[in-house]
Amino acid sequence: MYKLLLIQKYLRRKLAPMFAALAVTLCTAMVIIVISVMGGFLDMMRGSAKSITGDVTIFASFTGFPHYESLIDDLDALPEVQAATAFIAAPGMIKYGRDQVYVVREVLGIDPVGLDAVTRYSDAFYWTQQHLNPDGDIPAELVPDPEELAMHFNPPAHWTQGNSHIRGIVPGIKVYPWNIPDDSGQYHLHGSQLGRTVTLTMPRITTTGGVLEPAVRDFIIVNEFKSGLHDVDASRSYVPFKLLQEMLNMDAAEEADPETGEPTGRTIPARATGVVIRGAPGVPLDSLNEAVTAARDNLQHQHPDMPPTNVMTWEDIHAPLLNAVQNEKGLITFLFVFISLVAVVMVATTFSMIVFEKTRDIGVLRSIGASRWGVANIFVGYGLVIGIIGAAAGLTLAVGIVYNLNELQDLLDAWFGWRMWNPQTYYFDQIPERVDPLEAGLIALGAVLSSVMGGLIPALLAARLDPVESLRYE
Amino acid sequence: MPETVNQTSLLAAKSLHKSYRMGGQPLEVLRGVDIQVEAGEWVAVLGASGSGKSTLLHLLGGLDRPTEGSVSFEGRDVFAMGGKAVDRYRNRKVGFVFQSYHLLPELSALENIAIAAMVGQSVLGWIGARSECRRRAAELLDRLGLAARAKHRPAKLSGGERQRVAIGRALINQPAVLLADEPTGNLDAKTGEQILDILRGLHRDGQSIVMVTHDSKVAAAADRRLTLDGGRTRG
Repeated sequence: MYKLLLIQKYLRRKLAPMFAALAVTLCTAMVIIVISVMGGFLDMMRGSAKSITGDVTIFASFTGFPHYESLIDDLDALPEVQAATAFIAAPGMIKYGRDQVYVVREVLGIDPVGLDAVTRYSDAFYWTQQHLNPDGDIPAELVPDPEELAMHFNPPAHWTQGNSHIRGIVPGIKVYPWNIPDDSGQYHLHGSQLGRTVTLTMPRITTTGGVLEPAVRDFIIVNEFKSGLHDVDASRSYVPFKLLQEMLNMDAAEEADPETGEPTGRTIPARATGVVIRGAPGVPLDSLNEAVTAARDNLQHQHPDMPPTNVMTWEDIHAPLLNAVQNEKGLITFLFVFISLVAVVMVATTFSMIVFEKTRDIGVLRSIGASRWGVANIFVGYGLVIGIIGAAAGLTLAVGIVYNLNELQDLLDAWFGWRMWNPQTYYFDQIPERVDPLEAGLIALGAVLSSVMGGLIPALLAARLDPVESLRYE
Repeated sequence: MPETVNQTSLLAAKSLHKSYRMGGQPLEVLRGVDIQVEAGEWVAVLGASGSGKSTLLHLLGGLDRPTEGSVSFEGRDVFAMGGKAVDRYRNRKVGFVFQSYHLLPELSALENIAIAAMVGQSVLGWIGARSECRRRAAELLDRLGLAARAKHRPAKLSGGERQRVAIGRALINQPAVLLADEPTGNLDAKTGEQILDILRGLHRDGQSIVMVTHDSKVAAAADRRLTLDGGRTRG
């Protein structure tokens, strides 16, 4: 009981333990803030990656694979699958105006409605009717809705200038490199290519890999998308599936005899380069992956001549990027935890000073019957209390800061013209504001344990003191 | 003449030796001290500075271990007991009063007295004993003339008041023996006399006291006087 009394008295009468508690507070807050921001960034990237990729994807080579409709039917029948849709992915070049040609690593032919059921395709559209009619002073029916346009790839008549065959394209917002966001990460219409006609040029090959004349076709940009993944936004454009299939000679065709050129009467089936699948709610990714792989194997068994395909989860596809960020988070966490050892040293130093200062008191306590461990426990308990106070304050401070980081940034910007989060660098407009309760709890617990560790050595020093020498200590 | 040690005495030391190493050389402070204290007796140990008086008191109180020899309390060898039992012996059976008072500066006068009772209690034990201990501490403060100073910390007390608080702390657990180390050494004559009056009163009530002092006038208050010289006692 005397230990509690002394811990309480020492806390109230001494400034040094308050500094130790402050060190624990700042270290706890620092680690929680860093882990939360890094974790939030990682979560946002994972969310973007998942939404743009679907759960599981079946990939074939550039030449594609047939019977994909049959495969989709099989997949739709699986309880693990909620939706599946085919796509064609091929490289291309996009020409803006007369002399600006950029490589598009992935021109994706898609069924927008089908893809929207699998991924959150429409969520990534950047331009809305509001952008085209910001003041709302034009009747809505007269203003094209870019989101609606992108769902059908149909540009409005006054954009096509009478060419009813021209279809829409939805490039990533960074495909046109001069489309530069402002400091807050927002893009503006005057820098956008919305409504502009572009020319897409795509290499074509036969099913056996023979090279054909490239396909060239004009499109009108009906919207742009921003997924949050720079790599995707700078290298992907969406076009209608059927149109791309035709452009690349991947639609169904009559087979001709290679020697005579006469039709053989057989049909070459239409091809796609992949199928993207969304799992049913609650189905674990591994289970979905296994079910999809089994369906793919079954199809391959039925059609032994089918080219090989690969089944990958969204985590596999984005592993290089996500693992890099995950590793970075781990490394930064380690570094900050290491820095936080300062708090342990601070507590140890403070308590060592208190032990020296209290040497005679320790002798007095021993003279009235306190045991060595009783004396040691005063300092261990002291460390525990300092740790609890510091960790609780650090947790509160960190939560307060993390959930107000964007407001804090606006203040810093207003006062000093400095923004700590550059959306052009991190690609998300907002600093992630989320704290993982488990992570934060573990860090706070770690801070308490560190503080106890800091008090342990001085406690052992106090326990080892000779009471007679202590009483003589001046 | 060396003391004849009766092992049934309340407190007895036999052939106590204590040596330290100073600058690599052994320094023998006590060279076979024999002493016995009967219940209700007041023994004064006289000696010059550095004669080993405080060392003897520390050994009698179980605060230090002898190099040779034994200390027995009610016939039981103190140092043959385990560490916890020696801690309990210091807490329950003896009470120290130091020349420099040695109060804990963060605690009030009342808390400085009560803490010796708290040391002997677990948290749960303290819940049961709390009111009784506080009552006893308040009673001691009253008896020592410090009732009005109960909430004052040592820094606000005079030397004499501090020593009275120290006596209260030594008495809170109703020890069998009070071990007083130069209890008037830091006080002026008048205040020292007041402290001696308190000790006389305690002695009258049956308290056994061992007091070490260099002052023969102070020692005169005791029933019996021993002199510590050359590491040995003579009566």
